[in-house]
Amino acid sequence: MKHFWALLFLLVPIFGVLTFVLAPYYNHSFPRDISENGRVIDQLFYFILYLTGVLFVATEGALFYFMWKYNGRTNREPVKYSHGSHTLEVVWTILPAVTLLFIAIYQMNAWADAKMRKPDIPVTAEITGRQFNWDVRYPGPDGILHTPDDIILVDGEIHFPAGEEILLSIKAADVLHSFFLPNIRMKQDVVPGMQQYMWFKCRESKAEVDIVCAELCGWGHYKMSGRATFEPRSEFNAWLAKKSAEQQAHRITQATP
Amino acid sequence: MSTITADSHAHAHGEHAHVGSFLSTYVFSRDHKVIGIQFLFSTLVWFFIGGLLALGVRWQLAYPWSDMPILGKLLFSAQGGQIAPETYTMLFTMHASVMIFLVIIPILAGAFGNFLIPLMIGADDMAFPTLNMLSYWFMWPAFAAFGASFFIGTGPMSGWTSYPPLSLTIEAQKFWLVGLTCVGVSSMMGSVNYLTTIIQMRAPGMTMFRLPMTIWAMFITAVLQAFALPVLTAAGFMQLADLTLGTGFFIPEGWSANNTLHAAGGGQPLLWQHLFWFYSHPAVYIMILPAMGMVSDIIACFARKPLFGYKPMVYSIAGIAGLGFIVWGHHMFVSGMSPVLGMTFMVATMFIALPSAIKVFNWLGTIWGAKIQFTTPMLFALSFVAMFIIGGLSGIFMAATPVDIFIHDTYFIVAHFHYVLFAGTAMGVFGAIYFWFPKMFGRMMNEEWGKVHFFLTFVFLNCVFYPMHILGWVGFPRRLADPYHYETFRHLLALNQFITWCAILMVASQIIFAINFFYSIFFGPVAGRNPWHSNTLEWQAPSPPGHGNFDFQPVIYRGPYEYGSPEVDIDYYPQTMPPPQNRPAAVPAH
Amino acid sequence: MSDSHGPRLSYQPALPIPNGKTCLWLFLSTEIMFFAGLIGTYIVLRFGAVAWPAPHDVLLSEPLGAFNTFVLICSSVTVVLAFEAAKMNQSGKAKGYITLTLLLGCVFLGVKMYEYSHKFEHGIYPVKPHGMVYDKADVYYSAAVRKRLNDLKTPLTAKGPNATEDDKARILVIDEVMKKVDAAETAVRNQPDSPEGVIKLTELAYEIYPPHDQGTVIQAAEAGAIPPAIVVKYAAYEQPTADGKSEGKGEEREGINEKNPWLRLPIMIPGGPMWASTYFLLTGFHAIHVIVGLIAFALMLFTTLDRSRATLVENVGLYWHFVDLVWIFLFPLLYLF
Ligand code: HEA
Ligand code: HEA
Ligand code: CUA
Ligand SMILES: [Cu+2]
Repeated sequence: MKHFWALLFLLVPIFGVLTFVLAPYYNHSFPRDISENGRVIDQLFYFILYLTGVLFVATEGALFYFMWKYNGRTNREPVKYSHGSHTLEVVWTILPAVTLLFIAIYQMNAWADAKMRKPDIPVTAEITGRQFNWDVRYPGPDGILHTPDDIILVDGEIHFPAGEEILLSIKAADVLHSFFLPNIRMKQDVVPGMQQYMWFKCRESKAEVDIVCAELCGWGHYKMSGRATFEPRSEFNAWLAKKSAEQQAHRITQATP
Repeated sequence: MSTITADSHAHAHGEHAHVGSFLSTYVFSRDHKVIGIQFLFSTLVWFFIGGLLALGVRWQLAYPWSDMPILGKLLFSAQGGQIAPETYTMLFTMHASVMIFLVIIPILAGAFGNFLIPLMIGADDMAFPTLNMLSYWFMWPAFAAFGASFFIGTGPMSGWTSYPPLSLTIEAQKFWLVGLTCVGVSSMMGSVNYLTTIIQMRAPGMTMFRLPMTIWAMFITAVLQAFALPVLTAAGFMQLADLTLGTGFFIPEGWSANNTLHAAGGGQPLLWQHLFWFYSHPAVYIMILPAMGMVSDIIACFARKPLFGYKPMVYSIAGIAGLGFIVWGHHMFVSGMSPVLGMTFMVATMFIALPSAIKVFNWLGTIWGAKIQFTTPMLFALSFVAMFIIGGLSGIFMAATPVDIFIHDTYFIVAHFHYVLFAGTAMGVFGAIYFWFPKMFGRMMNEEWGKVHFFLTFVFLNCVFYPMHILGWVGFPRRLADPYHYETFRHLLALNQFITWCAILMVASQIIFAINFFYSIFFGPVAGRNPWHSNTLEWQAPSPPGHGNFDFQPVIYRGPYEYGSPEVDIDYYPQTMPPPQNRPAAVPAH
Repeated sequence: MSDSHGPRLSYQPALPIPNGKTCLWLFLSTEIMFFAGLIGTYIVLRFGAVAWPAPHDVLLSEPLGAFNTFVLICSSVTVVLAFEAAKMNQSGKAKGYITLTLLLGCVFLGVKMYEYSHKFEHGIYPVKPHGMVYDKADVYYSAAVRKRLNDLKTPLTAKGPNATEDDKARILVIDEVMKKVDAAETAVRNQPDSPEGVIKLTELAYEIYPPHDQGTVIQAAEAGAIPPAIVVKYAAYEQPTADGKSEGKGEEREGINEKNPWLRLPIMIPGGPMWASTYFLLTGFHAIHVIVGLIAFALMLFTTLDRSRATLVENVGLYWHFVDLVWIFLFPLLYLF
């Protein structure tokens, strides 16, 4: 096994590529995308995956090839006494630079869509992270937040109308949290004392997905989960009405002990 | 072998009789070599502890809430051998803090920087030996403070990033911060010392562009430390003040915890993140540049061929360092920082891949047309290159802001930084240990067992960290004690169990290394001055070098990478060997 | 250990200066980054803050600051003179100048101490979990005032018949303030949606510790840190009295706290807690650097400062200039803007 080590290094690109090729068949890839814009992020991911995949195979392949060909035990030729090559340096500076510049520019639009172009619509709900729960406050019948008819839910069950642009105002009550919807490809840290927005649209008419807290927020960070349910507007309204009524009833029982 | 040997200076002196007690020789030594070895031993011990902490993390992820065998009984007997959620949080916090602040940074700059800098530039010691000694002894309060923090309440549990306001609710954080500050002071003393030494104490003929890559890397690392670290120290003091004095730098308006309103605020939690990453992004390069430098030396030596593109290599290190100061915001893309700022940080981050690319291509250029000797250090060095490519390329995914929205704080990140830190730096460090061991202890390590160690580590580390990319692809969040109660991640348990078992095997494989290491110190075959036939200056000194390092006045005639030069009839050409015209006709040792 | 030492090695230094000086310059550049971090923090927090107190609100005195600046500049001069003397091999003269520098440094610290204690007297300093300074007059504030009043009153009433005249007078004062607190809190409770309560509370706060600068009151009101109505009332409050004096000159008004120094009630300064955090951080770290310098000077007095020690004097002097320079940045930043 004169070339044992070269072959060992050859396994790196082989297994490396294989892992990424096979993983999706075992359901080990992106969670189901139910959003309107998530596709852009997925595509960008795949684009970078292919690009870096090629670079990965090329560089690891070259490493293997050189290890094979220039093995001191088999290579009888004298070493190439070379201190470098100006041309090569220029080539392999410019080519990656162009590639990187391209990636940088290519992604800007997706970033702007996700974080900069806040839609000009009323806030659908206000989400507050607190150790260790996601509270939600819907504006209630009057459509305005922070009025007495707001509907406040603290059980981590959050409903959204499907097929509509949704604008969330999110904040934190105590420490940092991060509102993460894997199936929507959206994540935003929430910082106490700051106000953040998040917007997205579910393109499926009915879906129930996980809400994950993705920023360490204390010992209970692991259990700070929630469920987001997307449903057609009519169902959503009905659900909201029900919650409103429940809250009303609760208030009355509270007021008259 | 030709009659011209690099060992031609070896004569006379022989044993160095030491005056002075055991204490002043081995404990409070001001000799840079002893200090370097002290650093090496302390960090290896912490490396081991950090590895065990990692196993704790892995156990919980594979078998959540189950009794942990052996270690569990030892560590969490109060919890019946189980890992409680706060313990889990403490485990990965301390795993990372130990690995970064007590292992990687001190082993690179402290151990290798100390040992190699004077030897490789031809100085008899550091410029300020006492300061050097202090820089090691300042690590001890840090060891003590980090060690004590395990036992305060639930231990530090806000991640190695210590983000406020969470960190302000944790008692043990005070100790953690004190430890951090001591590491900072130690590194600061080290870095000014290294810089002065490299600037002022090079042997005659050792121009800046004849320095080995290791020294260049150490030099620029020291610059990074000198300029980035004080900012973290300042930030650390501020967080400490918030914790103990009631100031409010990182406390937002009207913030309360444990039912008390804290200093009425106006502070900004994001400010900490900016200050922290202003240091900690350069710090990730502090954690890899020295390894890159040492790997360059090892690769050139065992390729028996000059390093390809020496100057571009130097410039790219400088480029990484320079750009490293303006990319810190890529850790904060979704933190709530202005998205416009995020975009500028994205562009800068993209471009930091450029100098790294240059380095990778030049390493490949070095082994092109070579005669590679697959020694243990060379295998580790080559694996550094192979693994750094993986870690670096995954960095591109995260630099792409929209993708980072999804993969931020998932295992994709964990995969990324273990590839650069463990598969990269730690493998480079292993290579460096095998390579410079003969110089440090005068004996060789066992090659066969070294290769077994390499093989097992290489295979298992890929089994451990490569699948983490896949976990991240599914969105599997990091820092989560039990991710399986999320429907989205339930099916990832099997993969995590695989990772855990590979991690256990990987840590177990290190036993081979530990035995080889300690056995060889006492019983390894005696190494001559220059067992690897290397060009650099340290190999012309005795092994181990005595007090004062050199038994001759080194004069440097050329750069460090003249392997296979047609000028001489051996395949290496030490930096100190006079060129033919200056050489007496018959060269053999006088 | 010289017998085990190899030959004395020669080097080719890149810079034509001694190693100690190289190291010192490098050290100073790390120090620059350290203070850059601190000053950067100050700037970010200050301009991110809703309200920021004017220097007089927090009892900063420009003349004192300017005096201290002058003292430090003088000390920089004397240290240069000491260096010159050392170069001339005049150890005695050099020591004289070092002593002078040492004295000037002590004067600086003395003034600093006076300034600190003046602020401490008024409760302007950070304390955990909450200091005496409040950002705004809210329920937390009134609760703190109430707590302080009760704490004062209990031992006084406990004295019963043994109470002196003085004690009785004090109880009267306490009761009077308490009445105001009650009134304000009632207003807050009864009309939670109207600003009336907050206005009352703010007025009370300004009675306890009057604002020293009308400008900051207006600014704070504009930023929403205090109710806008207060500005109107405050302006009325400030109307020239019958004798035509006092036109917006806040300093001349005495607050309840000042009239009764034993009260030490919590005070309200919009932006005050944050101001205290940064002020003590910046000046504190600067003072630590001054102390380190003074220790170095003191140690130097025990040696002969002849030509062979000139570099030492120069290095310590460089450090001292740096400390001086930091103050020259801090003074306008903290006292003037
Ligand atoms: C030694 C340590 C080290 C190194 C060298 C790097 C190198 C890089 N890192 Fe990494 N990073 C960390 C350690 C390191 N990182 C750590 C510890 C964290 C996590 C901290 C935490 O949150 O706990 C982190 C997190 C991290 C993030 C934040 C992710 C997040 O939290 O969301 C980002 C984002 O941009 C990033 C990017 C990069 C980039 C672009 C590089 C580049 O320098 C890589 C450049 C290298 C290459 C690109 C490969 C070689 C080149 C080629 C083969 C040529 C061809 C390539 C192209 C043309 C693309 N890193
Ligand atoms: C240099 C840095 C470094 C190193 C080497 C490692 C090594 C390892 N890490 Fe680490 N890790 C981090 C830095 C590092 N890690 C950081 C920064 C984080 C983020 C924490 C955070 O979120 O805050 C992290 C988080 C982290 C997590 C994520 C936890 C979470 O987010 O929930 C996991 C999970 O698998 C993990 C696993 C491992 C494993 C299995 C190893 C293994 O490779 C360990 C193997 C150990 C050894 C091989 C040691 C063997 C001992 C010797 C060789 C010494 C021999 C002794 C003598 C001769 C005396 N790490
Ligand atoms: Cu909330 Cu993590
Ligand atoms: Cu970074």
